[in-house]
Amino acid sequence: MSTQVHAELTADQVEQISEDLDEPEWLTETRLDAFEALDDLDMPDVITTPGREWTNLDALDYETLVDPLDYAQEKDRVTAEGVDVLEWSEALAEHGDLIEEHFGSVVDPQRDFLTALSTALFSAGTVVYVPEGVDAEDVKVRTTMNSRSLFNYTLVIAEESSSVTILERQATGDDAKPVEEGRYYSGVVEAIAGENASIQYGALQNLSEETYNFQVKRGHTSRYSSVDWIEGNLGSRLTKTSVETRLLGDSSESQIVGAFFGHEDQHFDLGSRVWHEEENTTADLVTRGVLKDSARSVYEGVQDVGREAWNTSSYQRENTLMLSDESEADASPKLIINNHDTEASHSATVGQVDEEDLFYMTSRSIDEEVAKNLLVEGFFVPVLEEVAVDELRDDLEEKVATRLRE
Amino acid sequence: MSSDQDHLKETDTEKRFEFKKEENSAFQAEKGLDEETIRVISEDKDEPEWMLERRLRALEQFQEMPMPEDWPGAPDLSDVDVDEIVPYIRPDIETRGGAENWEDLPEEIQDTFDKLGIPEAEKNALSGVGAQYESEIVYQNMKEQWEDKGVIFCDMDKAVREHEDIVREYFMTKAVPPSDNKFAALHGAIWSGGSFVYVPEDTNVEMPVQAYFRMNSDGMGQFEHTLIVAEENSEVHYIEGCSAPKYSEFNLHSGGVEVFVKEGAHVQYSTVQNWSKNTYNLNTKRAIAEEDATMEWVSGSMGSKATMLYPSTILKGPGATDNHITIAMAGEGQNIDTGAKVYHNAPDTKSTIESKSISKDGGRTNYRGLVHIADGAENASTSVECDALMFDNDSTSDTMPYMEIQEQKVDVAHEATVGKIGDEDVFYLQSRGLDDDDAKQMIVAGFIEPLTEELPIEYAVEMNRLIELEMEGSLG
Repeated sequence: MSTQVHAELTADQVEQISEDLDEPEWLTETRLDAFEALDDLDMPDVITTPGREWTNLDALDYETLVDPLDYAQEKDRVTAEGVDVLEWSEALAEHGDLIEEHFGSVVDPQRDFLTALSTALFSAGTVVYVPEGVDAEDVKVRTTMNSRSLFNYTLVIAEESSSVTILERQATGDDAKPVEEGRYYSGVVEAIAGENASIQYGALQNLSEETYNFQVKRGHTSRYSSVDWIEGNLGSRLTKTSVETRLLGDSSESQIVGAFFGHEDQHFDLGSRVWHEEENTTADLVTRGVLKDSARSVYEGVQDVGREAWNTSSYQRENTLMLSDESEADASPKLIINNHDTEASHSATVGQVDEEDLFYMTSRSIDEEVAKNLLVEGFFVPVLEEVAVDELRDDLEEKVATRLRE
Repeated sequence: MSSDQDHLKETDTEKRFEFKKEENSAFQAEKGLDEETIRVISEDKDEPEWMLERRLRALEQFQEMPMPEDWPGAPDLSDVDVDEIVPYIRPDIETRGGAENWEDLPEEIQDTFDKLGIPEAEKNALSGVGAQYESEIVYQNMKEQWEDKGVIFCDMDKAVREHEDIVREYFMTKAVPPSDNKFAALHGAIWSGGSFVYVPEDTNVEMPVQAYFRMNSDGMGQFEHTLIVAEENSEVHYIEGCSAPKYSEFNLHSGGVEVFVKEGAHVQYSTVQNWSKNTYNLNTKRAIAEEDATMEWVSGSMGSKATMLYPSTILKGPGATDNHITIAMAGEGQNIDTGAKVYHNAPDTKSTIESKSISKDGGRTNYRGLVHIADGAENASTSVECDALMFDNDSTSDTMPYMEIQEQKVDVAHEATVGKIGDEDVFYLQSRGLDDDDAKQMIVAGFIEPLTEELPIEYAVEMNRLIELEMEGSLG
C-alpha cells in the first residue's frame, strides 16, 4: 500500500507544502522524516477475529485518492475573547516556540502509515491557544473540503487554570470539485491541558459520502485538569477514528462521548481509548449509535489502568441500535487493569427498537413510523445530554432527525 | 522415503527409534516432530489407515501455521519447545512425562496433595506417577451400569479400533478441524489417550461420567482427545480432570475436546485444570449444538504457567442454548488467558457467559471472548458477564470481549466489572471475629460459588480447599 502512494508522492511535494506555509526548518524535517518512514509503517490496527476482518483498510487505493498539492478548502474560525485561534502560518509566526515544543508530543507523527502521511502532507493547520486563567466558550472551526484530499492538523494548548470549548465541523463544500474515485480526509488533533485547565473538544463529521475519513484525536491531562471529547459521525463512506486521552495528572478526568448514525453502505470504525497513568483519575466513555440500510459499525473501547494509577474510576458504555437486517455491528470494549485500587466497568449492547415500547406508542394511536423515529431520537438522548455545547447538540439532533426521515 | 518405510515394517520399535536417533544426529533440521514419529505412534496404536492419514495431514498443517503472536496481552509461548516433545509422545520410549516415584515429585505438589487429604493410591494416579491404582475397579462397576443402557465410555485409542464408524465420522472433522489453530493441528498429529463417550437416544446418564481416575491410563494425558456424542434427547454430565495439581516434566499440554449435542440433548462438560506451574496449557474445545439442544461448559483454571483456553459452541440448530461458567485464578508468574466463543448460526438461539477471575501476587488473568451472531439468527440473545477480583497491585486483570452482530433482531449484552476485594466486606467479617486471611478466603469462596455449585460435592470441596491453600501462600 505504501508503494501505491509513493508512485505519485515525492519529497519535493512535501517540501513545497512546507515552503508554501512558511514553515521553519524543524517542521520541514519532521515532515520529511514522516515521509521517509512511510515505507516501514503499517496501517492503523484493525481488529480481526477468525474469519472476519472488522475493517479493511488495505482495499483503499490511496494513489487515486490523494492529490498532495490540491488542497482547496475553506475555513471559518470564530474566536472567543482572550483566545488565539490562528491559522497555521500565523500561528507559527506568533507561537513558533510553543508549536515546536508541542507538535508531535501527543500524537506520534509516525504512529502508523496514515498518521505519517498526514504529518507529511497536512496543509490546513489550526492552533488554539488559551492563556492562563482565560475561560473561553464557543471557539468554532468549520472546515469545508473542496479538494480531492485534505490533510488537517489542529493543536490545542490550554494553559494553567484556563478553560475552552471548541466546536469543529467538517463538511464537503457544495462547490467541491467533482471526483470519480472518492475523496480522502485526514485529521490529527493534539490537545494539551495544563494544570487545572479544561478542554472540551466537540467534532461533527458530515463529509460527503464518497469520502474516506481518517482521524486521530488525542489529549494529555495535567493535575486537576480535564480533556473531554465529543464525536459525532454522520458523513463519509468509510471512517476510521481514534479518540484518546492519556490521564497524566493526579486527579485529572476525561470524558469521551460518541454518537453515530450510519446509513446506506457507510462503514464507521470508531475507537475510544483512555490510559490512567496517575492517581485519582476518572474516565467515562459513552458511545451510542444507530445503523440503518447496510451500514456497518466497529467500536473498540480501551480502558487501560496503569500500575501507578491508584484510586482509579473508569466507566464505559456502548449501545448500538440496528434498524435494518442488512446492517452489522461489531464491538469490543476492553479493560486492561494493572492496579487493584480500581473501580472499573464496561458494558455494551446491541439490539433493535424495543417491540413493547413500539406497541405502547402505537396503542396511543401514534403512527408506527413516527413512533419508531421518536424512539430512535430518544435513544440518542443519554449521549446528547452529555454534550455541553448547545450548538453541537442541536446540530446533531437535527441531522439525526433528517436522516431518520429521508 | 522407501527406506523409511522398510524400517516401519520392522516390529521392534526400539530398533526403529535407534534408527531415528541416528537420522536426527545426521540431519539437525529434522530434529523433533516429523512424519516418521507420527507413523510410529499410529502403528504402535494399531490404528486404521484413515487415522494415520489424518495425523499426517494435521502435522503438515502444524508445520505451516504461524504461532498466535499478534494477540494483545497473550502469553509468551516462545518457551514451548516442540522439538523436545518426541520422548513424551512416542509409545516406544521409556521416558515418560511422569515422575517414577512419589518422592520424585516437586515438593509443593506433594504438599498440596497432603493438604487436600487425597488418599495415597489416588495421589499416585492423579499426580502422574505411573503406578497401577485401585480406581480401575470403580470404573469397571460404573461401566456395567452404563453398558446396559448402550452407553459407551472407553479410552479414545480403544474407540478408534472398536467404534471405528462413529469415531471416523466425528473425529476432528466437524468441531475441531486441525486447521483451527496451530495447537489444534499439533494435537491432531500427536494426540494420544483421552475418552470417548457415546450416549444413545433418550438415554440419561445420571451419574456424572468422570475422567477423574482415568487421565493417566495412557501416558500423561497431555495430548488427550475427548469425543462426546450425545444422541437425540439424551443427557450426560462429563467431568474431566481434578483440582489436584498434575505434574509433568514436559511443559506442553495440548488437549482436544469435541462435543456433539444432537436434537434436544443436554451435555454438561466440567473441567478443573490444575497443571503444575511449569506447564503451557493450550487446549481446543468445541461443541456443536443441534435444534433445542443445550450445551454447558463449566471450567476452572487454577494451575499452569500459561493457559489459553476458549471453549466454544456452535449453535447450529434453532432453539439451541449454550451456557458458560469460567473461573480463572492466577498467582505469581501465571498468565491465565481464558474465555468463551459462541457462534449463533440459527434463530432463537441463546447463550450466557459468566466469567470470574482472581489475580494475585503478580498473576495475570484475561477474559477473551467472542460472540458471533450470524445473519438470519433471528431472536438470538446473548449475555456476557465478566467479574474480576484483584488482590494486589502487582497483578493484572484484562477483559477483551469481541462481539460481531450481523442480525437485527437480537438482544446482545455484555457487562464487566473489575475491582479490588471490598475493604468493607473484609471489615465486616473481621468484626465478626474472622482474621484477615479467613475473611478474604470466605469472600473468594463466595465469588466463585457459581462454579462450585455446578460441580459434584467432592470437587466443590476440593476446589474450595485448594483456593484456601493458594491464598495462604503456602504454595509456590
